[in-house]
Amino acid sequence: MSPSAAAPGVLPGLRESAAYIAGLGKPTAAEVLAGARDDGRVALQPRCGVGGHAEMKALLLALEAEAGPDVLTLTIDSHTRLRRFDRAARTLATRPQDLNGYPLVSHGWRRGRELNEAVGAPLEIRHGSPDPRVLFDVAVAAGITSFEGGGISYNLPYSKDVPLSASLAAWEAVDRRCGALADLGVVVDRELFGTLTAVLVPPSISLAVSVLEAVLATRAGVKCLSVAYPQGGHLVQDVAALEAIEILARHHLPADVQVHPVLHEFMGVFPRQRGHAEDLILYGALVARLGGASKLITKTYEEAAGIPGTRANIDGLRLADRANSRLLDFLSVDRDRVREERGWILAEVAEIVEPVLERGRDPAAAIVEAFARGTLDIPFSASRFARSAIVPKRDAEGAIRYLSAGALPLSGTTLRRHHELLHGPDGPGTPPGSLLADLTRDINYFPNLFCEEPT
Amino acid sequence: MSSAHTTAGRRLVILGVAASDCHVVANQLIAYALRGQGFEVVNLGACTPVEEFARAYREHPEAEAILIGSLNGHVHEDLRDLPEARRSGRIGCPVVVGGNLSVGSVKDPSAVSRLYDLGVDRIVEDPDDLPAVLDRLRATRAEVARVERSLVS
Repeated sequence: MSPSAAAPGVLPGLRESAAYIAGLGKPTAAEVLAGARDDGRVALQPRCGVGGHAEMKALLLALEAEAGPDVLTLTIDSHTRLRRFDRAARTLATRPQDLNGYPLVSHGWRRGRELNEAVGAPLEIRHGSPDPRVLFDVAVAAGITSFEGGGISYNLPYSKDVPLSASLAAWEAVDRRCGALADLGVVVDRELFGTLTAVLVPPSISLAVSVLEAVLATRAGVKCLSVAYPQGGHLVQDVAALEAIEILARHHLPADVQVHPVLHEFMGVFPRQRGHAEDLILYGALVARLGGASKLITKTYEEAAGIPGTRANIDGLRLADRANSRLLDFLSVDRDRVREERGWILAEVAEIVEPVLERGRDPAAAIVEAFARGTLDIPFSASRFARSAIVPKRDAEGAIRYLSAGALPLSGTTLRRHHELLHGPDGPGTPPGSLLADLTRDINYFPNLFCEEPT
Repeated sequence: MSSAHTTAGRRLVILGVAASDCHVVANQLIAYALRGQGFEVVNLGACTPVEEFARAYREHPEAEAILIGSLNGHVHEDLRDLPEARRSGRIGCPVVVGGNLSVGSVKDPSAVSRLYDLGVDRIVEDPDDLPAVLDRLRATRAEVARVERSLVS
């Protein structure tokens, strides 16, 4: 490719990009998700991103040829995510293999179109940018119809110093662009990253953050939302959380907005042995099926080692697709327990979001204020704009509970339930170990479950 | 195991995650563990450029080490300004790095030597080794100081 072709150049306007997307001859991500839901199967999507352009194209082609995922991904490198575009460009020029994703802004929208035209599946941008405006504009110019993130979920886990007011404003600008594109006939799928810091995230925290982002996004004009929830590891809890998404959408969002529950296969510490990792991958895919997810983001048996190679990525997709088999129609989950857990999750989400969404308040300002006070919070925040006073803990069955809810406005009834689930009805059932040892054990839940030796 | 509790005097370390990296769970657990061992930990958290480590060193020149975690494989680019910071003395204590030091599931064997070339003093594979590594670094510094004193006198 000539150097001039690599220059980002002037971006085409929204109208031209919309016309390009309409003429691409492939479905949008929103259409693919609706189709999967109508067919009663879980759409599959890998994470994938490498620095070099030719390598990225080869990766997409190999994944499509050998695993046929429903949606393909451009995972963006961390420099680009944080708008360190000069660093991304410098590494791309010197050692592209050192980039942990595809620097789309450095490559430019024309190369993005080339990738888009090379494969039949729609592309999604997965990244982690508190301020994604430049990246979004390049993505739309490249004809990409799905874009992950949100003003809370792509700030607090991904940066340290960006005020929430700034990330919320940047994401509002993106969501307004999605509204303008919808007016031009292109529905962009906006996936909300309820996965957050991906480690021991209580379901009601994940869903509360997604509800708030969804309300903001739909007010700005977004017409298709994917609400991602991270597999925690407990079947009933995970199925209940996935089922809660549709109920929350009906309650909080306009009826003309498509909402798709999405499961992220376990995002925490993965077992190292291939067989164990594959067990966990299949288990995640079964949870997505049982929870009625529209889409599943897959993992690989190389997860414990780092970003997977192409072969492992293909194998992870193929394995997850086994859970879509019609032969598995006999699978079920204890409906009564799911209904009970779902009721508790919905009550907790209501307790957390309703004060923020009170009528007459600007929700963005209310979110900023609530995080400052700790009445909204996430565990293990990378950002100093959340308090991280929440301490999660697994109960005896492995479900994720609040050991400490920090300053979250949870009711006495809710807090009592968490206490009892962790400590038994009569105070501390087991002598409290050290918090660090407990957290470490809960984080290493799956390697421990498979009796893998600690590293 | 040695512990800062049993060693006389205050022991302070500066901790953080490399500039382009947001992975803080291990960072927070390491801070917690080191504090449990009696260390004073100035935790700069996620996304910390070399310049910010240097600023923290200026505020805490008594720091016995700067501990930098990196899990996203970008450590070499993220520590690009380290040689200059060492040369100019803006970072005057040992620098210890640990984590996932190259992109991909098959590790780049040159990743470690390139880090030493950048002026990293120690690479730690297991965070549980940190107290022992800090003890050794401290002993080495004490020995160097003793020799220097004896040369002067």
